[in-house]
Amino acid sequence: MTTEDRGSRSAQGRGFLGPRLAAVALLALAALLIVSAFGIARGGGYTVIGPATIPLVVAIGILVLGSIFALRTTVLPDHDLAEQAAGEEVVTHWPTVGLTAAALIGYALALDGFELGPIEVPGLGYIVATGLFLPLTARILGSRSPIRDGIVGFVIAIVVYFGFTQFLGVRLPAGILGPLL
Amino acid sequence: MDVLGDLIGGFGTALSFQNLLFAAVGVTLGTLVGVLPGIGPALTVALLLPLTYNFDATGAFIMFAGIYYGGMYGGSTTSILLNTPGESASVVTTIEGFQMAKRGRGGAALSSAAIGSFVAGTISTIAITFLAPVVAGLARSFQPADYVGLMVLAFVSITALLGRSLLRGMLSLFLGLFIGLIGIDNLTGQQRFTFGVPQLLNGLDIVVVAVGLFAVGEALYVASRLRHDKEEIVPVQGSLLMNRDELKRSWKPWLRGTALGFPIGALPAGGAEIPTFLSYGLEKRLNPKAPWGKGAIEGVAGPEAANNAAFSGVLVPLLTLGIPTSATAAILLVAFQIYNLQPGPLLFVNSPDLVWALIASLYIGNVMLLVLNLPLIRLWVKILSIPRPLLYAAILVFATMGVYSLANSLVDVLIMYVIGVIGFFMRRYDFPVGPMILGVILGPMLEAQFRRALQISQGDLTVFVTRPISAVLLLLAVAALLLPYVPRLLGRGQRLVFGSGSDD
Repeated sequence: MTTEDRGSRSAQGRGFLGPRLAAVALLALAALLIVSAFGIARGGGYTVIGPATIPLVVAIGILVLGSIFALRTTVLPDHDLAEQAAGEEVVTHWPTVGLTAAALIGYALALDGFELGPIEVPGLGYIVATGLFLPLTARILGSRSPIRDGIVGFVIAIVVYFGFTQFLGVRLPAGILGPLL
Repeated sequence: MDVLGDLIGGFGTALSFQNLLFAAVGVTLGTLVGVLPGIGPALTVALLLPLTYNFDATGAFIMFAGIYYGGMYGGSTTSILLNTPGESASVVTTIEGFQMAKRGRGGAALSSAAIGSFVAGTISTIAITFLAPVVAGLARSFQPADYVGLMVLAFVSITALLGRSLLRGMLSLFLGLFIGLIGIDNLTGQQRFTFGVPQLLNGLDIVVVAVGLFAVGEALYVASRLRHDKEEIVPVQGSLLMNRDELKRSWKPWLRGTALGFPIGALPAGGAEIPTFLSYGLEKRLNPKAPWGKGAIEGVAGPEAANNAAFSGVLVPLLTLGIPTSATAAILLVAFQIYNLQPGPLLFVNSPDLVWALIASLYIGNVMLLVLNLPLIRLWVKILSIPRPLLYAAILVFATMGVYSLANSLVDVLIMYVIGVIGFFMRRYDFPVGPMILGVILGPMLEAQFRRALQISQGDLTVFVTRPISAVLLLLAVAALLLPYVPRLLGRGQRLVFGSGSDD
C-alpha cells in the first residue's frame, strides 16, 4: 500500500463522519415520526383508510430507507459518497456557515419582535433589521467594504419597504420607525 | 376551429396595454433574478410571487409566464459565462457553453441559447395550444385511481431517473412526503405531525419549503466555500451575434432539442434534465466533427432548446391534470391556488378566459424575451459582477421577505431557515432536492386520491390494477424504476464477456 492510498483511505474515513451523522438524524426522525403517527387519533367517521395510515407508511419508509443509508455509511460503504463528503469538508469554512445561520435567526427575530416568556421584545421593523442584516451578513461572507454594504442595505430596505407596502399591498413590520412611517 | 377562436380571444385579453406591460415586467424581472448565480427558475418564481398578490388573476399569470421564461433564459447566461448552472437542467449547457465563452464566442453561445429558447418555446406553445384541450378532455374521464397511478409514475420517474443514487432520491422523496403530511387531515380533521405547534396546523406552504431549500440552502452552501472557490467570469468579447456558420450549426439542434424536450416534459414523468442530456448525446453523435469539449455550439443550442421545450411541456400536466412535475411547476401551482384556481381538467371549462390569456401570453412572453434579451445581454452580464458576499446577503433578505409576506408569520420564516439548513446538508451529501419538493406538493394529493379511490372501491386494492389507465401508468412506473438498472445489467454482461475488471 502506498502512502497515497493510505491518505485517500483515511480521507474517506473522515468523509463518512458527516453521512453517518445524517443517518443518525434520519433514524431519530423516523423514530419520532413513528411514535407521532401512532398517536394520531383514529376514526373520525367512516373511512377505509384512516388519517394515521399514510403517516405510518411514510414514517416506516423513512426508517427503512434511513437504515439502508446507515448501512451504506458503515458495513456496505458507499465510497463515492464518502469521497464527495470528504471533498466538501476540505473546502468548508464552518464559522461562516454558523455565523450566517445565527445572523438569519437574529434577523427574523428583529423583524417582528418576539416573546420571551412574559417579556415582549419589540421588533426593529423591516427597514432597520434589513439595513443591519445585509451589511453584517456580507461581512460574514467576506466583504471588506462595510460602508458600501451599509448603504446598499438601507437602500434595498427602504425601496423594498415602500415598494411593497405602498404599491403591492404586502404588509411589512414598521417596528421602531413606526411613528415616522 | 374552436381552439383558434379561443386562442384569438386569449390574445385579445393578453394584448391589452396593461397586460403587455405585465409581460414585459415579468420577462425583465425573471431574467434579472434568473441571471443571479445559483438562482434557478423555481426560486425566481417563488421570490417574485409576492409581487403579484395585488393583481387580478389574468395580469398575475401573464406576468408569471414572463418570469418563467425570463428565469429560464437568465439561467443559461450564468451557465455559459460563469460555469455555474442555476439548476440541474442547465448543467449540460455549461459543458460547451463555458468553453465557447473562454474562446471568445460567449456572445454567440448566448445568442444561440436565446434564439434556441425562442424557437423551442414557440413550437412548444403551439403544441400546448392544441394538446392541452385534448388532454383536459381525456382527463375528465380520470378516476381517483388513475390519478394515483399518474402521481406514482411522476414520483418514481423523478426519483429513479435523476440524481446519482436511488436511495438518496427516495429518502429525499419520503422527507418531502413527511413535510406534506404536516397539518390537519382534510378528511377527518385529525392533527398529524404537528408536534403541538399551533402554526403547523395549516401545514407547511410549498413556498416555505422551496425558498428554504433553494435560497437559504444554496446561500449557506456557497457561504461555506466562498473563501475557497475562486470564480471566473468570462467577459463577453466580440460580436454578440452568431456568424453564418454558427447559425447553420445551430438550427437543427434547436429543432431536435425541441422534439426531445416537449414530449418528455409533457409526460407526467417530467423533468427538464433528461432531455438536455439526451439532446447533448444526440448532437454529439450526429455531429462528430464539431469541436466537442472545446466549445461546440451544437452542445449549447440543442440542450438549451430541449430545456426550454421541456419546461413548456411541463405546463401540459400542470394545466390539464393539476399535477406539477417540476419544482417550478409546483410553485406555479401555488400561484394558481393563491387565486383560488384549481388547475385540472375543469380549469378549461371554468376559467377559459384565464387559460387562453395565459397561453397567449406564453407566445408574447417568448417574443418579448427575444426582443429584450438579445440587445441587453451586456447589461445582464454586468449583474454577474455583483460581489458575491453582497449578492448572497441580498438573496437571504429577499428570501425572508418572500416567505414572511405569505402569512406575516415569524414561525414560517424560522421553519424556512431550518429547511435551508437541511438543504445545505442535502447539497453536501448529494441528496437531490427535486423529489423532496414534489413529495411536499404531490404527497397530499396522492393521499387524497388514494383514499378516495379506496372509498369508491369499498377498500378493494385491486382497483389500481383493474382500471386500464391506472394499470398502464403503474406499469410505466415500474419500468421507470427498472430502467436505470438496464444499462448496468447490460454493462455487467458485457464486462463478463470482455473480462474487464474495472468497476464503476
